[in-house]
Amino acid sequence: MSEAASELSVLDELPGDLMMWVLIISELLVFGAGLTAFLAVRVTDPVGFAEAQNLLNRTAAGINTIVLVTSGFLAALALPLREAGQNARARLALIAASLLGVLFLVIKGAEFADKAAHGINWESHAFFTFYYLLTGFHAAHVVFGVLILWLVAWRDAPRNIEVGAAFWHMVDLVWVLLFPVIYLLQ
Amino acid sequence: MSQRALRTGWLTLMALSLISTVISLWSFPDGWQALAGTAILILAWLKARVILGRYLGLDSAPFWARGFGIALGLFCVLLLGLYLAPLMF
Repeated sequence: MSEAASELSVLDELPGDLMMWVLIISELLVFGAGLTAFLAVRVTDPVGFAEAQNLLNRTAAGINTIVLVTSGFLAALALPLREAGQNARARLALIAASLLGVLFLVIKGAEFADKAAHGINWESHAFFTFYYLLTGFHAAHVVFGVLILWLVAWRDAPRNIEVGAAFWHMVDLVWVLLFPVIYLLQ
Repeated sequence: MSQRALRTGWLTLMALSLISTVISLWSFPDGWQALAGTAILILAWLKARVILGRYLGLDSAPFWARGFGIALGLFCVLLLGLYLAPLMF
């Protein structure tokens, strides 16, 4: 067997669309760099970071984690449902996943509004610069992900669902790494 | 990925998320804070592995699962090192 054929088989093993994986890896690198920078700056002021972190609502963020992983489960469930010919249930799963995405944004919006009401902005402390940058950028991905879920619920070919759900799982994956680093590590 | 595997993955993620939140809300003595933080990072690593394996389907692609597993593991070790650094210096 030639080397080219061997490489092809390895790429063929990758589930879903190759370009979606390229996007997923790119996004993970961006957020990974952000989280690394956050912890690197924290080294210079651990007390200040801990005090700033105590102003966050960990319970709301914990609820958002439950919301997002449940949303990811529903998005993942849509593909086997669609492949089994249960088109209506697959669409329902995608719509439910997107609504949980909207709920995530509502909770996140309330969190941002609460910070603003207390006069906390991105210039208040280096912690909050990273907090707004990373969680805000993630929230933007959630908005985009919700739109993609609506799109694939409308155009519900199995390939579309697989690619759309993969983007949503990337958003989920970023959150499970971002949540503990920003909200929990003391 | 079967519906059963997805459901198991989701339940695992829920359990790991709840454990992380309980650990973070617990009031640990000063000396135990680093241990709690380490446990939280390990739980985050496990959650990321479940999402990659079950939701993104890498459980059915061993080559890629291994590659992503190594990269994710190294990244979490880097985060752990940076988290523990202020305690060492």
